[in-house]
This record gives sequence, structure tokens and C-alpha cells, in this order.
Amino acid sequence: MAANFWTSSHCKQLLEPEEVDVVPSLDKEKGLTLEEFKMIKIHMTNYISRLGQQCKVRQRVVATAITYFRRVYTRKSMTEYDPLLVAPTCLYLASKAEESTVQARHVIFYIKKIPDKKYVYDLKDILEMEMKLLEALNYYLVVYHPYRALSQLLQDVGMADLTILSWSLINDSYKMDLILIYPPYMIALACIYIASVLKEKDTTAWFEELHVDMNVVKNISMEILDFYDAYKQSIPDERINAALSKLSSKP
Amino acid sequence: MAEPNPAADPTQSKRVADRYLKREVLGEGTYGVVFKAIDTKTGQTVAIKKIRLAQYKEGVNFTALREIKLLKELKDPNIIELIDAFPHKGNLLLVFEFMESDLEAVIRDRNIVLSPADIKSYMQMTLKGLAYCHKKWVLHRDMKPNNLLIGADGQLKLADFGLARIFGSPDRKFTHQVFARWYRAPELLFGAKQYGSAVDVWAAACIFAELLLRRPFLQGSSDMDQLGKIFAAFGTPRLPQWPDMVYLPDYVEYEFAPAQPLRSLFPMASDDALDLLSKMFAFDPKVRISAQQASEHRYFSSVPAPTKPALLPRPPLKGESLKSRPLDFNSQEGPVVLSPPRKSRRVMLNREGLEGNHQVMNMGGVRQMGETTSHSSHVPMSVDLADLFERRSPPRPTLNSADRSHLKRKLELDLELTPNEK
Repeated sequence: MAANFWTSSHCKQLLEPEEVDVVPSLDKEKGLTLEEFKMIKIHMTNYISRLGQQCKVRQRVVATAITYFRRVYTRKSMTEYDPLLVAPTCLYLASKAEESTVQARHVIFYIKKIPDKKYVYDLKDILEMEMKLLEALNYYLVVYHPYRALSQLLQDVGMADLTILSWSLINDSYKMDLILIYPPYMIALACIYIASVLKEKDTTAWFEELHVDMNVVKNISMEILDFYDAYKQSIPDERINAALSKLSSKP
Repeated sequence: MAEPNPAADPTQSKRVADRYLKREVLGEGTYGVVFKAIDTKTGQTVAIKKIRLAQYKEGVNFTALREIKLLKELKDPNIIELIDAFPHKGNLLLVFEFMESDLEAVIRDRNIVLSPADIKSYMQMTLKGLAYCHKKWVLHRDMKPNNLLIGADGQLKLADFGLARIFGSPDRKFTHQVFARWYRAPELLFGAKQYGSAVDVWAAACIFAELLLRRPFLQGSSDMDQLGKIFAAFGTPRLPQWPDMVYLPDYVEYEFAPAQPLRSLFPMASDDALDLLSKMFAFDPKVRISAQQASEHRYFSSVPAPTKPALLPRPPLKGESLKSRPLDFNSQEGPVVLSPPRKSRRVMLNREGLEGNHQVMNMGGVRQMGETTSHSSHVPMSVDLADLFERRSPPRPTLNSADRSHLKRKLELDLELTPNEK
């Protein structure tokens, strides 16, 4: 599938980093900072992963759901589109789009199983939000992911022992907006790069032969490492709640 | 934003989402009504598929979503264009370019003479559209003349992607219950779960044959019979011809039948046409020619050159009669039935042959567009009936309900999640 990434809607929709790191104006009015905006996205990314595990969907579905989630907030505000509803709806929509349908009532069932504060939404809300999401996504549903590229690239470099580490790195990369900015195979390359450095494997010659822009690969790698630095500890619940309550406050 | 045009038709027109002037209903698709409309923004005639949501507990219909997802990625002169999509009164509306007719109507219209150049042109457009899909890793899985729509400019476009799938992962298992039976490739009939773009090429070959013969080529009455018909024409495949055949889930040995010379099956076809046909009808999917290669076959560059789309013979213009008598055709037919006339025509066709008819529903919606008028206002009944008496071909199978429930089960099996309840 990677063969035609270049002609895909995903490719055409890639954004510049500056375009992604923008707090929607409505949220800004409520005092939401960029830091908090990112934090909520990380928190909800984790939430989608957990819900995805509960629903037993493939990693690909989770990754697509997170991509939808992040795309939505490049266009819509969290004030109008409550992240707590958008997140499970993204998973529901992604499960259909990736041909692994989870029934909506099952999603609801598992939402309630995650012991968390105020997920007060019901079937009707999810179905209504699905429609709004489709519109927000401009009906573009096909998303490419670094996973396929990863296995092909690792096979090519002949370092299957890097699989687990680089796969986990990719999983974590969804806590950032990389998937909205870079072609998936570049993200895969960055994860291989980090993994090879950590495991002290020499991939220099291989990377040189690839004829890719190593600056981009290194930039992505740096961003990932910076991210790990910044979020070493998990974000305290109070901070998340404080950020979320800003959204529900009246301006 | 667009200039209103109520003067044109004040009683009939209704605005949808401020932009579309709603006209008559064209037919009923799998998941909702299809109606004709005028896009006031562009002046273009469009077909709007209404996807009902209220009745579903599962939000946007899965098939509809699949079609949206794929068509948003496919932009090609030989693929139906999804112009717009938007929610409206709790339904989801999909706006497609309006297509006048379809290839089945062309093939069936006894008043139309198809020259070798015309057939070449229709085949070229079919294969180009298909090659584009395959380049984008999309399998159509429901290729048949009825799903090849023809626009006012003569362009042929692949439509109805409700069964289509991205086939990126080589090891994913798919259901083999796809395609109307007459267009199903032998590997599917033998139950293959892992298959590729070759299945669409086989179906395209059946369409090629149908254009040459002016009737469906291999009209099997069951899956077994379908294979029988295939082998009766091309001979029972021998192992060297198709080594993997014996490993297919539903493989059974067929009594040996010798191949008939292609020339005798298609006496009117040129040598180039026969060569291409034989490559598209290769038994082994690995050997079967790709859509891209097929579209570059010398058949298309040899004389006669393919007819320019605009000059292709088509069923008489439906738009004309429509404009003059927009309301009448319904009353002519007696009680207003919401099903498309195409369907009623099929029902009649069935009655000619046998009473029971089970192929009631079509899989998709858009394809019916334009048919409404063609049949009811244009084609004189008597001619049609006489025609049918002569032919008595069995009903053209679409996916029947048994197939579809089977398909549904299979699709559920396809899911990689373990069932959560039950």
C-alpha cells in the first residue's frame, strides 16, 4: 500500500509543524495554552489505545483512530468537539474504515469499563458525533502508517532484532502529531535510526544507500527524543482535569 | 450563494442544503434512495444518494462508508466522481456526477449496433479505470456491465465501490463471495480467500466477451455450474496450466472437457481481440494479464482505432423525454413504485422464463440513474417483450440475498477481533 502514498489524500493533507501547533481560537479564548492543548491530545491518545485494547482491535485501527483525532483538532476546537466524545467516536469510525468493525454498543460497553471520571456519553451521542467527524475529516478516511514500512525496511537492513524496540517507538510517536506532518516511512526510518543508536548497531551505510534526506530523519528522531524527555513522568491527573475544565467553563 | 432557479420548475424542485435542486427519484439503492438534482453552483446535473441513518443502530452504513473512503482516493476520468458529501436532516447525502446510462443498457439495446471500434473503446475505458484502481491498490470486486456507467459525453466510468477493498496486505484473507456469479473468476469459485487484482481482470474479460456476443458469456446457475460453463468453454485446466488450483479450499476435480477454439466462440472477433481475451481469461491468476498490461495490448493500437467516446452509440437520449414530461412517466406505469424501473423490467424478464425470481435487489444505487426514463418513457414495451421472448436468457444474477447474508457473515469473520459477546 505504501506504493501509492504519494498520490493519496493522506500525503496531500500533510501539514507544516507550525500549522499543527495551533490552539483553536475558541479554546484559546478560554485560556487553553499550547502546552495544555498538547497534553489533552496525549491523554486522549492514551485513552484511545486503552479503549482499543479493550475492544481488541488491531494496532492499525488504534493508529488510524488517533490520526483522525489529531486531524480533527487541526480544524475544530475542543470547546465545540468534546475530546471525551471525539476520542471513542474516532475509534468507532476507524474500526469501520479499517474493516474491523466494532459494534457501537460494544464501544459504549468498554467505555464504561474504563474506570474514569465523566464519560457520560451514550450510543446516540457517538452516532451523532460520527457524522460530525466525517464532515470535520472532509470524508478522507484512508490513513497510512509507519508499521508496514517498518517491517519492510527492517527486512532490508537485516536487523530483525530491532523490531520490538522500533515498533514501540512508533506506537509512542502517535502521542505526538508526527503522523500529520511526515510521510509514514520517514517516521519508520526515524524510529529505526533511534533504535539502532540505542542498540549500538551501525546503520550508517544502509541509510546512505537509501537516498533519503537524513536531515529530516534526524529531525524526527530529535523530536521523538525531546518528547520522551519532556514527558518522562506521566502527566498528573489534576493537570489534565484543570485543562479540561477550562474548556467547559463559560468564557 | 448560487442563483436560485425556481422559475424552471417551481413545483418540483426542492432545495437540498441550499445548493442542490432536487428532481425526480432515480431509483432505490442498497442503502437508500437515489435522486436526480441540479447543482446550482455549477449547473451540473448530479445524482444524490441518500444514506438513511435512522434505521441503523450502527451509524453510517458500512458499505456506504467503504464507498466514500475509496472514492475519496480515486480521481480518474474512468471512475465515477464523488463530488460532495454532507449530512442533511439526519441522513448522509453523497453527490455523484450524473450518468446517463450503463453498459448493460448498451449491450441489451437491440437497436444499437456495436462496431469493433466501439467495443474496443468501451473495453479501453473499462481497463483504464480498472488499471487505475489497481494502481491505487483497490480491488473493485463487483465488475459487471451494470456497474459501468456511461456519461453524457460517452465516457465510461467504474461505479459502485460498495464491495471494493484495499488489498495492501498480501496475507489478509478476504471473502470469496464477491461479484455477481457470471463474472466470478475460477479461483473465487474454488473458494480462494487470498486473491488479487486478477479477479477484476477475469470479470473484465467476461464483459469483453459480453460486448462481442451481446449476451452474458458464461451464465452459470450455481457456483458449480459456473465452473462447468467456464471449463466447457476453455477446457478443464490441467495441472501445469494452473498448479495452485488443487490447493484451493473448494477445489473439486471436474470431468475433463476439451477446450473449444476461441475462434469458434467468438467468430466475429479479430486476432488481436482473441489474443487479449485469451490472456485475460488465463486460468492461473498469476499468469493472467494485468489490467495495465491489458490496456496496453496491441489490440488497442491496431486498426480500427477505438471510437471516440463522444461518438459511441448509446441508448436513445433519456434526458429529452424527461424534460418534456417530467411527471408523466410515473403515472404511465400505474401505481407509483419506489423501485427503479430497471428492477421491474428484470422482474418481467424473469417471468418470461420462470416464475420464481430471487434476484430482486441490486447491490448499489447510482447505477440505476438514468434508467428510469430510458425504460418507462422511451423503450416501447412490445419491442422489449418480443426481444425477451426470443432470448429467454436466465435472469442476470446480482448478489442475491443468500449470497449477501453469506457475505455479511464472511465479512464478520474477516474481522480480527474476537467476538466480545454472544
